[in-house]
Amino acid sequence: MFNFLVMEGRGTVRNIGRDKTLVMMPCLYMIALLVVFSVTLQFAKAAGEEEILLMATTTSTDNTGLLEYLMPAFTEKTGIGIKWISTGTGKALKLGENCDVDVLLVHAPQAEIDFIDKGFGIDRREIMYNDFVLIGPTDDPANISGKTVSEALQAVRSSSNIFVSRGDESGTHKMERALWQGADIPTPEQETWYRQSGQGMLPTITMAAELRGYTLTDRGTYIKYESAAAGKPSLVILVEGDTVLLNQYSVMPVNPKHCPSVKYEKAQAFSDWMAGEEAQQLIGEFKLLDKQLFTPNAAR
Amino acid sequence: MYHIQNVDHYYGTKLVLSIEDVSIPEAAIIGLIGPNGSGKSTLLKLMGFLEEPTYGSIFFKGRKTGPFTSDTRFKVTLLPQEPYLMQRNVFENVAYGLKIRGDIKRLKSRVEDALTQVGLTPESFSRRRWSALSGGEAQRVALAARLVLKPEVLLLDEPTANVDTGSARLIRKASLKARDEWGTTLVVATHDWQWLFETCDSVLHLLHGRLFKGGLGCAVYGPWKFGWEGFLQKELEDGQVLVAPTPEEGKQVAILDPSRLKIVLSSKSPLLKWKIGSLNGFVTRLFLESNGQTVQTAIKIAELVVTIRIQREQVELLKLYPGKEVGIQYEPQEIEWL
Amino acid sequence: MDFIQEGFVQAYALLVSLDPATYSAIGATIRASTLAMAASLLLGIPLGYVLGYFDFLLKKQLRIIVDTLLSLPTVFIGLVIYALLTRNGPLGEAGLLFTIPGIAIGQAILSLPIIIALTATSVEASDRNLHITLMSLGANRKQIAISTLWEVRLGILAAAVTATGRVLTEVGISLMVGGNIKWHTRTITTAIALETSKGEFGMGIALGLVLLLIALTVNILLAGLRRRI
Repeated sequence: MFNFLVMEGRGTVRNIGRDKTLVMMPCLYMIALLVVFSVTLQFAKAAGEEEILLMATTTSTDNTGLLEYLMPAFTEKTGIGIKWISTGTGKALKLGENCDVDVLLVHAPQAEIDFIDKGFGIDRREIMYNDFVLIGPTDDPANISGKTVSEALQAVRSSSNIFVSRGDESGTHKMERALWQGADIPTPEQETWYRQSGQGMLPTITMAAELRGYTLTDRGTYIKYESAAAGKPSLVILVEGDTVLLNQYSVMPVNPKHCPSVKYEKAQAFSDWMAGEEAQQLIGEFKLLDKQLFTPNAAR
Repeated sequence: MYHIQNVDHYYGTKLVLSIEDVSIPEAAIIGLIGPNGSGKSTLLKLMGFLEEPTYGSIFFKGRKTGPFTSDTRFKVTLLPQEPYLMQRNVFENVAYGLKIRGDIKRLKSRVEDALTQVGLTPESFSRRRWSALSGGEAQRVALAARLVLKPEVLLLDEPTANVDTGSARLIRKASLKARDEWGTTLVVATHDWQWLFETCDSVLHLLHGRLFKGGLGCAVYGPWKFGWEGFLQKELEDGQVLVAPTPEEGKQVAILDPSRLKIVLSSKSPLLKWKIGSLNGFVTRLFLESNGQTVQTAIKIAELVVTIRIQREQVELLKLYPGKEVGIQYEPQEIEWL
Repeated sequence: MDFIQEGFVQAYALLVSLDPATYSAIGATIRASTLAMAASLLLGIPLGYVLGYFDFLLKKQLRIIVDTLLSLPTVFIGLVIYALLTRNGPLGEAGLLFTIPGIAIGQAILSLPIIIALTATSVEASDRNLHITLMSLGANRKQIAISTLWEVRLGILAAAVTATGRVLTEVGISLMVGGNIKWHTRTITTAIALETSKGEFGMGIALGLVLLLIALTVNILLAGLRRRI
């Protein structure tokens, strides 16, 4: 069969097919290697990955340091280990949909409800909120300070001042789009003064600072930015407190009907603990650079 | 030892070797001569069972055989033209062949004997790295690596070409010893006179991939002009004209078979100078062969050189000496084409 | 520019103070790359030999494909491996997603074309007289393969050095397949990506310097190896 397929190199010997060992040897070798790999992989898997809960959350949550602060208490109380992957909201939801994680902690209520409607998630539970703020240059060229969100956005648009958006389907980005809608303004995709960074919150703020423009950010990231700027931030909070700026965080286990392999009981235990007294108190006490960041609001 | 039958060997679409029938006896020393590109190295590779002929068969000790067979492995070895050693020390290079066949009894002494056989003292050479040797020393180590296997056939491709004279001498000595002591058959492709005429039992001539019976004549290349009806003629550099019958389609090289040439005394007559079948030249070299009877006489005619073997009596008769003007007579019809 | 200076200072501080997070990342990087290199060398050297030594139908085309794979973007590999290892994917049950072995699989795929292509080139470029010598001395095909590979060992070592560099410094695979989970799959490179995205440029530089230190150590070891063989 392999007669005319293979010729010996470096001087030709035809009809290698006569010599079966020549073709068999590499094949056997590869099969042997694959077998060895699969066996070692089985051992890797068996090495106690069973007990740990896997959570997908957003970068803005993780970057505040809240999880590092909070999670050890969970493990101590319940004995359940937890690991988390922080990424954009879009990807976090995708990981849940793909059954690669057991529970989600995100802040995109509309997307979360969709998620449940599609049967991917279950038992959504509100845990805490922080808020968004509109920040801009200290001299406020568009004059938005003190206005409502809708008025402020109108002012930015009519004065054509630069507005930097996350542009990455993150929770913040979704919130921002909702705000434009709320102000009866179509999302300014094509406008020259509207810049989409496609990056995380801090790089987006940095870009806004460089361009002397406005942007929407969660308070936590702003606090970090303000602190890093050592008392002289180029961008300051101009609009805050408007109810539409509330950023609701929820815990949502992945639906075991959609993903039979998820650790549903452990996810429920996590959800219960996060809504429980201990966690809620810890959340309220969490301070970023001496400022409270999150307000616990789990239903009693 | 060998019987090569109807072998046509191609590299890609190019025919490089075409041999109808030739046999090589055991324990013989066979020389192989021919210009570069005539297929000597290819023939040696086929005889060394490094490659399989595209068409045809090679019989070794009566059995048709090829590469990677137990008939020939460890029995036939080839020493290539350029000195080549593996990237390890001298001892390991020589021991390699024995080690891979598991034949390691008294390894050290066998390796050292082989090194001594090629004139390299084991004490100073065993541990040397492959890169710390001269070309001649490296080639001798390569030879030692083959001799240590006590092969039945030793094929040498220009063994003295890329080495110093001292090494060349030692290589010849060691190869001869192999034949004398173990009955190793030697086939040597070479330009070296000493090998060809003092050492070899017989000599094969290769030209354009074909073997020549009766010796290498003088090959005459084009361009040819049309002469008389049915004949071509070639004008030599001194104005003389060589005449040959028109060949078949595609054949371009004419062969003057020396055994068909006759040496005559040169004629000063202008008429005879233009006679067809007659050329003038002068003797360049006289060489007495090892049998003591025949003399190889090289005669230069314009740009051609023919070597004719004549009896020594004839040399005395014709009073030949290097530089003497002589005439050559040939029959145009007897000229063969390649 | 300050962050570069800051980076140097921080690098020193992290290493000397035995900062656990940093050393965990170092360990993750080393574990993943070692697994990946071992797998790709074991698989790649024989395949490279076959590609270099034999003449066969479609050899040229196969070589072009291998050379093209040298340009595989790491994020692309990361995505493909994710698709394989995701729960509902073909290898989902193996539970390799977000683990170091999972990262190693992706990195091995990154390294494999390098090993194959450079080994094949070394074998092809080896002296014709090597093959003549080996066959003349009676080597069978297996022995020819082993001896040829030994003779071109420096070329293979060069391939290993190149591949190691690529594997140590890639981010796309580690991020997609590993998930950048602190203490578990956070490698030096994913940590750099994270710090940079948080705006902590000084830390990013610091970790980058740590990675260079690792690469330097590996290359010193390999250079020592090169001398001895």
